[in-house]
Amino acid sequence: MLDFFTIFSKGGLVLWCFQGVRGPAAAATAPVNALIRSVILQERGGNNSFTHEALTLKYKLDNQFELVFVVGFQKILTLTYVDKLIDDVHKEFRDKYRNEFQQKGTLGLLNGTFDFKDDFMRLLRDAEESSKVRAPTVMKTFEQSLKSQKTVKCMIETRGEKPKEKVKNKKNKGSKKEGTEAVAAPGKASAGDKQLSTAGDREELTKDEILQKNREEFFKRHMKAGEKSNKSPKPEAQKEKGKKPRVWDLGNSNAKVLDYSNSATNGSAEACPVEEFDPDTALGDRNREPGRLYDLEYESNDETEEEKVIQNPSKPSAKKGGLGGMFGMLKGLVGSKSLTREDMDPVLEKMKDHLIAKNVAAEIAVQLCESVAKKLEGKVMGTFTTVTSTVKQALQEALVQILQPQRRVDVLRDVMDAQRHHRPYVVTFCGVNGVGKSTNLAKISFWLIENGFSVLIAACDTFRAGAVEQLRTHTRRLNTLHPPESHGGRTMVQLYEKGYGKDAAGIAMEAISYARNQGFDVVLVDTAGRMQDNAPLMTALAKLIAVNAPDLVLFVGEALVGNEAVDQLVKFNKALADHSMAQTPRLIDGIVLTKFDTIDDKVGAAISMTYITSKPIVFVGTGQTYCDLRSLNAKAVVAALMKA
Amino acid sequence: AMAGGLEPHLEALRRELRAPDPAVLSVLLALLAVAITLLIWRFVQGRRSSRQAVLLLGLCDAGKTLLFARLLTGKYRDTQTSITDSSAVYRVSNDKSANVTLIDLPGHESLRLQFLERFKAAARAIVFVVDSVAFQREVKDVAEFLYQVLVDSTVLKNAPALLIACNKQDVTMAKSAKLIQHQLEKELNTLRVTRSAAPTSLDGSATGGPPQLGKKGKDFDFSQLPMKVEFVECSARGSKGEEGDADFEGLEKWLAKIA
Repeated sequence: MLDFFTIFSKGGLVLWCFQGVRGPAAAATAPVNALIRSVILQERGGNNSFTHEALTLKYKLDNQFELVFVVGFQKILTLTYVDKLIDDVHKEFRDKYRNEFQQKGTLGLLNGTFDFKDDFMRLLRDAEESSKVRAPTVMKTFEQSLKSQKTVKCMIETRGEKPKEKVKNKKNKGSKKEGTEAVAAPGKASAGDKQLSTAGDREELTKDEILQKNREEFFKRHMKAGEKSNKSPKPEAQKEKGKKPRVWDLGNSNAKVLDYSNSATNGSAEACPVEEFDPDTALGDRNREPGRLYDLEYESNDETEEEKVIQNPSKPSAKKGGLGGMFGMLKGLVGSKSLTREDMDPVLEKMKDHLIAKNVAAEIAVQLCESVAKKLEGKVMGTFTTVTSTVKQALQEALVQILQPQRRVDVLRDVMDAQRHHRPYVVTFCGVNGVGKSTNLAKISFWLIENGFSVLIAACDTFRAGAVEQLRTHTRRLNTLHPPESHGGRTMVQLYEKGYGKDAAGIAMEAISYARNQGFDVVLVDTAGRMQDNAPLMTALAKLIAVNAPDLVLFVGEALVGNEAVDQLVKFNKALADHSMAQTPRLIDGIVLTKFDTIDDKVGAAISMTYITSKPIVFVGTGQTYCDLRSLNAKAVVAALMKA
Repeated sequence: AMAGGLEPHLEALRRELRAPDPAVLSVLLALLAVAITLLIWRFVQGRRSSRQAVLLLGLCDAGKTLLFARLLTGKYRDTQTSITDSSAVYRVSNDKSANVTLIDLPGHESLRLQFLERFKAAARAIVFVVDSVAFQREVKDVAEFLYQVLVDSTVLKNAPALLIACNKQDVTMAKSAKLIQHQLEKELNTLRVTRSAAPTSLDGSATGGPPQLGKKGKDFDFSQLPMKVEFVECSARGSKGEEGDADFEGLEKWLAKIA
């Protein structure tokens, strides 16, 4: 039922491949490449399954010998034995070819022939059979169920008779179990009855007697109801006479009843039963000195000691352990120890808290730590390395990997391309309220002008008061800084606005055609800030982007944001994807991280944003003047993040 | 004459040795030991750090891992996207006992710079593998990676020999090496302008921007670089498919020259 099973080294060589149900050999390559690119390389390794078109892929990493095991099967099937199969294959393959891996290294991988087919078929057969062995559970027959053991009588409820009935039930069941096997269903009641008579119970209520009892009770109840109904018209009649003050029940009684201060009437000492006072249970420790106040149990010492033991096996534990400890320490130093989950867990916990303290979103910190744990499990540590340092190193590499852009980040190059095709390069800025869209738009236009491109600013924020005036002020300032005379008589920046209250998508379209006619190189479209939960506004934004097809959609996010970043980006992307008519919808292409000067080293927002979208951070805003525009330096950000 | 110059020093030394002051003697001996150790250490380091590695760089799916496998074993292997590097010693086919360490680095965008950082200091030569079939589409990405390799400070300092291997020549649509060279030159010409104009990095580390590539004022040319650059056509899969040999005599000859 499997489509394929491949085993390949992390360096890229396929060691062994099994083609299952269908397909040429090449069919395995593309899904596996997709798996590698989207899961392993983007540090989403916490969950070990991945869906690609019609296939579900499950994988396992062997970090000791640098191998990857991948199995693929149809998405619609739910095979329960796959996880176990991967584990078994992993163990068997590793044990069988241990020598090649350890001794010969890469050449061993290249030259070795891995004839694993027979073993694999055997394991596959075992796994399939073990999943089949559990036959579907057979339904219990009626005789076996508990319901058949209840008599009809016990199912009739009579008030006041219940306890006796229950006693009778138990007696019935007990007698039943002692006695006969399966008895035919209709004969149940009669058999029960017979058994009752044979058992010789005290009181038997025949049906007639039950009916009689019921009738009596009914009359009693009816009488009561009658009295009640008699009562109810009386107060109504009283009420009809005139409006009377409401009479409370307790209000009539005298205040003495309500006076609990005097213990004589209510809450008297005699009324309360005297509790059995056991001094042992109350006071606990028999050995305590009377009158002394003990300190809190101070536990942090133990914790740090534990950590130290894990971190530096060479330290106190060696001295305590004596000879055995010495050998253990030496072994730990020499480093043929492989990392287990238990070793890594405390360190990863600490790293996770550290990341969260640095403003990384909580779910992302958790996923990152999971992924790093998966990558390190089973890895053999080098000499003189501690668990902490290995984990820190791995986490640092993972963070740098996330911050590296997956696509080119060169706006000027793309603008030049668009220039050659005689069309303007359109950039759209979107984001929530107050993140700095207009400010950073002005900064980016300043940078573009410095590089000799003419810019048209489209004021598509038709909602916020003063948005158009703000952009007009920026335009005036930029024109003062770069007057047309110094650029060959060309106005480098111009504002295209249509006032307030109009449709943003329409203004954007007009601005782009105006730019094309006038020969502007870049169009920067400023949109209104909107909350990600505001459905109509998100629809409007999606429409603007879908209709105008900008070259670059930039999401502007501030570096101060914490867990909100995840929510914002997910919802923005979802809105853009939902409302687009195209096959491949235009999503967010890049991120502008603003207000970077307000955070010292709590730079976690950068990680959260790039992790969620896997799109690069194109610009970083570090202030409110035109020169405060930077590009991201991944190493510096990660260094600030990992700094204690 | 030399002996005469040394004599008074030897005399002084002998006098010192006879003097009953062990402290000075022990200090002298210690210093001597340290000096000798340092010399040996530097010598050994110098030997070891003679750059032995040939790096295989390139974009994803350029064919680096297959080229690696073919060079080392001559056989065809199925490959997947590499996640880590692989290295092995490659013996040149002539009888020269020279051998180089071939290192195959992953081409994926998130990994390539990290691994380049790790191995660039040990690089004696760099083979930049280019996918000739997808080149038209990917020219900007190829140029960007090549640019990043070329402006790296360590690479500029060591100036390892650079070979640009235009792979996948067995496919009919493959571009020729000349065309690829021409296109790369044009693209790098544009890139050095746009890259130096990019906003400065966050901590302002790149003082004055990235180093200038080639000569200012003139169009970029590979001959303007401090290292030797060659272009060669090859095919890792080989014209006869998987059973036959790979087609890369040019590459092998160049490797023999380098070793």
